[in-house]
Amino acid sequence: MDTGPLYLEPRLAPRLASLLGSAAFLHTLVDALGSPLNVLVPDQMAENAEGFRAVYRRHRLGGQVFFAHKANRSRSLVRRLTTAEAAVDVASVGELQHALGAGFTADRVLATGPKDPAFLWLAARSGATVNADGPGELDSLAGLVRRHDLPRPKVLLRLSEFETSGPRMLSRRSRFGTSVKALEPLLDLLERHRAFVDPIGVAYHLDTTSPDEKAIALEGCLRAMDDLRLRGFQPRVVDIGGGFGVSYLAHAAQWDRYTSELAAAVLGRRPPLTWGGHGYGLHAEGGTLRGALSLYPAHRPVAGAGYLDALLSQPAPTLGRSLGTLLLESLYDLYTEPGRALADQCGLSLARVVEVRRTDAGPALVRLAMNAGDVALEDHGILMDPVLVPRGLPGSGAGEAVGVHLMGNLCLEVDLVTRRTVFLPRLPRPGDLLGFANTAGYCMDFSATYAQQQSVARKVAVRQSEGGAWHWCLDEEYWPVDAYGPITDSGGRG
Amino acid sequence: MRYDSITEAIGNTPLVRIDPAVHGLRHIDLYAKLEMLNPFGSVKDRAAWNMARSRLPGARERGEAIVELSSGNTAKALAVIAGMHGLSFKSVTNRMRIPEVKDLLLLLGAEIEELPGRSECLDPTDTEDPLTLFHQRLNESGSAHLHTDQYFNALNTEAHESGTGPEIVADLDGRAPDWFVACVGTAGSSTGVARALRAHDPAVRVIGLVGEKSDFIPGIRNVDEVHEVGLFDPATYETIESVGADDAIDGMLTLVRRCGILAGPTGGAAYHGTVRHLRPVDAQLRERRTAVFIVCDRVESYLGYVKQRRPELLSRPPARNSVSALTGDEVRAAQVIEVADAQKWIAAERPLVIDLRSSFAYAALHIDGSVNIVDELFDEVVRGGLPFGKRQPVLLACPVGEQSARYAALLTRMGHPDVRSLAGGIIAWRDAGAPLVRD
Repeated sequence: MDTGPLYLEPRLAPRLASLLGSAAFLHTLVDALGSPLNVLVPDQMAENAEGFRAVYRRHRLGGQVFFAHKANRSRSLVRRLTTAEAAVDVASVGELQHALGAGFTADRVLATGPKDPAFLWLAARSGATVNADGPGELDSLAGLVRRHDLPRPKVLLRLSEFETSGPRMLSRRSRFGTSVKALEPLLDLLERHRAFVDPIGVAYHLDTTSPDEKAIALEGCLRAMDDLRLRGFQPRVVDIGGGFGVSYLAHAAQWDRYTSELAAAVLGRRPPLTWGGHGYGLHAEGGTLRGALSLYPAHRPVAGAGYLDALLSQPAPTLGRSLGTLLLESLYDLYTEPGRALADQCGLSLARVVEVRRTDAGPALVRLAMNAGDVALEDHGILMDPVLVPRGLPGSGAGEAVGVHLMGNLCLEVDLVTRRTVFLPRLPRPGDLLGFANTAGYCMDFSATYAQQQSVARKVAVRQSEGGAWHWCLDEEYWPVDAYGPITDSGGRG
Repeated sequence: MRYDSITEAIGNTPLVRIDPAVHGLRHIDLYAKLEMLNPFGSVKDRAAWNMARSRLPGARERGEAIVELSSGNTAKALAVIAGMHGLSFKSVTNRMRIPEVKDLLLLLGAEIEELPGRSECLDPTDTEDPLTLFHQRLNESGSAHLHTDQYFNALNTEAHESGTGPEIVADLDGRAPDWFVACVGTAGSSTGVARALRAHDPAVRVIGLVGEKSDFIPGIRNVDEVHEVGLFDPATYETIESVGADDAIDGMLTLVRRCGILAGPTGGAAYHGTVRHLRPVDAQLRERRTAVFIVCDRVESYLGYVKQRRPELLSRPPARNSVSALTGDEVRAAQVIEVADAQKWIAAERPLVIDLRSSFAYAALHIDGSVNIVDELFDEVVRGGLPFGKRQPVLLACPVGEQSARYAALLTRMGHPDVRSLAGGIIAWRDAGAPLVRD
């Protein structure tokens, strides 16, 4: 049994590391704006987009990187992206309005997800590309275009249930997309609507971490593109969706050690590592471990842009050549829709420690001015230590490593920020802040609620000046211009 | 030796001494139990046959298919056994990571189903493990099946308790070895052999080897995965130690290059783990001792595995007339031609237009009159010399004009006077609005 503190330290890029080291700045923000507080780092988003573009360049591919807006409702992240070599993928009429209002022109907007008439109408009206889920949506869209005399929208056909020869690769059933088996009738429909929609290509998005499944889907898309061409269309885009992943932890060894110890705890070979002995999907049956670990693989050696690179370098299952080469030599543009991966290292959720209660047996209870909905790490199965941001002077908080349980602010038994026993370098004190790093992708506002009239986190955007100092503004006040900075345009006189 | 059926050749594998000059242990005689010499190629032949044999006649009567959750050797053995008895075989797995084994299974007539990867957007309520999913699929299909259930079936262990273990004792002149070392996959061989040896001499020390979590070694479970195995009981082993993929390959190299034992990486892991465990013990010893490890299967299926991890072991010398031998200056000096000029040149002098893209891309759209020679093939053809006469002008085209420039430089170096590369490739050609056709 491993008895040392089972840390799961977050991976911190230089900006987040510097921000978390700026305790006085963060305390000032939470003092003024309350706890919980979400802090966004828009400049990091632009850097991440550039990482994806670098992979495109390496494979000589054209196309677009669409940020899956649903990962975060922030204004500043989307506004910052307008000035990067990136685009935006919107999944509701609200997100579409936001993207257009942030400064994205419609050629850089892709409408995905379930669509109601208003969403379809605004997408077509503005000229956004529509990622069509199936025949019903194509019918609705073509009808709207015809009745309202709208410009002919570009559409992508979202496909699913790709087939393989040889070993059969099973994939989780998806509620989205049209089965490739039903491609022929879909193309018949497309021919009937030829005057009203302009099919520019095909799309898939698979909810899996497996590159093999994605390689099968991508090759299936290449073949579907051929079918489109045979019908006289001129498709030029293959959209491979998102799911490139994020590596949340700094050290693989900590993750390996933690998961082994968790299995040992479930088997009863060591004291529990969680509130109430929760097994995160694992249970013991006659000394054998059953179930599946329902946790996000928090340390991933290949994630984000690196995952895209690996996927494009992978050989197609039957065509043999690398998928990137096949896309390139077929003259196709590549669309990607990263959400979590593009928001990697772009945000931080802060919570004030309200109470620290020692218990007779087991870890102390640390109550936060935040609840489990505010930082949805548990919902996404992400295990990662918060960073202690002390209230007092640095160095005044020396102490021993402790395991604690993090309680939320709801009057509800299950409101634990995480069910994991979290190890901290010392016992926190009321007034300290806990900083949950890397929450911008899905873990910030996706599931925050007004339950029990607790306040929902405000958002601020922060920017680091060249001297290293941090500046902030409210998220909704952020625009990617230096309104109060030095004006470098000399008006032609300099 | 004469047999009526190949299944009679299962078992009675040789126990071969490893030369002390190789392993360097001074007081321990080290023996390899060559399970790789079973007729279908691995230690799993014993378990597969023992689990299936008594149920085959009934299965045949009822038209059942044999099914197993296996990614490798058990599937291989069961596929052969199923074929011999007129049954079909299906393997369901999420661990099939060796392409050669996959192809071999297809050749043997097996059906393979691969379970999906983990969800990227996690659903915390979805906690079904692969085994449960597998059982659900068996039940929902409605078709009859013979499920051998290697991770839980006591007949797996029994095959080794009554076969492998007693054979070792017999070959050591009626003595059990002092150490027995085995990699843990289904835990069948290690548990079964351990039982037989301990029945003979309770002092036998049994070492279990598992893989490190960061990589994988075919046929071995990692330190967490062993807990999912029904036959696995930690009390069987004196210690459980982990072995890395690199160690396994090093061990394998020693066996194949110095011992004449053509073992796969699992056998390599067992050898490496054995010697690593025994070296400090050996230094303290004064009298002679004996140790046995299992060589699970053969090397041939794992060339891709080795190539991926240690490409230098399979590297070949660079070929003559290869683009990789060109200098940057040579490539930059290659003659390139812009799209508009290329169109005029084609019309005036009818150069041979060679499209280096894949046949899949060429079939969809290409320059009218061009010939498709895929880069890989072209690469092979030019190795032997110029594939066309020097008076025949040539235009090379690839997607963006990089690869074609390299081949133009190579052909120029080989003495061709007029070979040009299409600047910006087929993409520039398309973007310039020049015609592309589909024949």
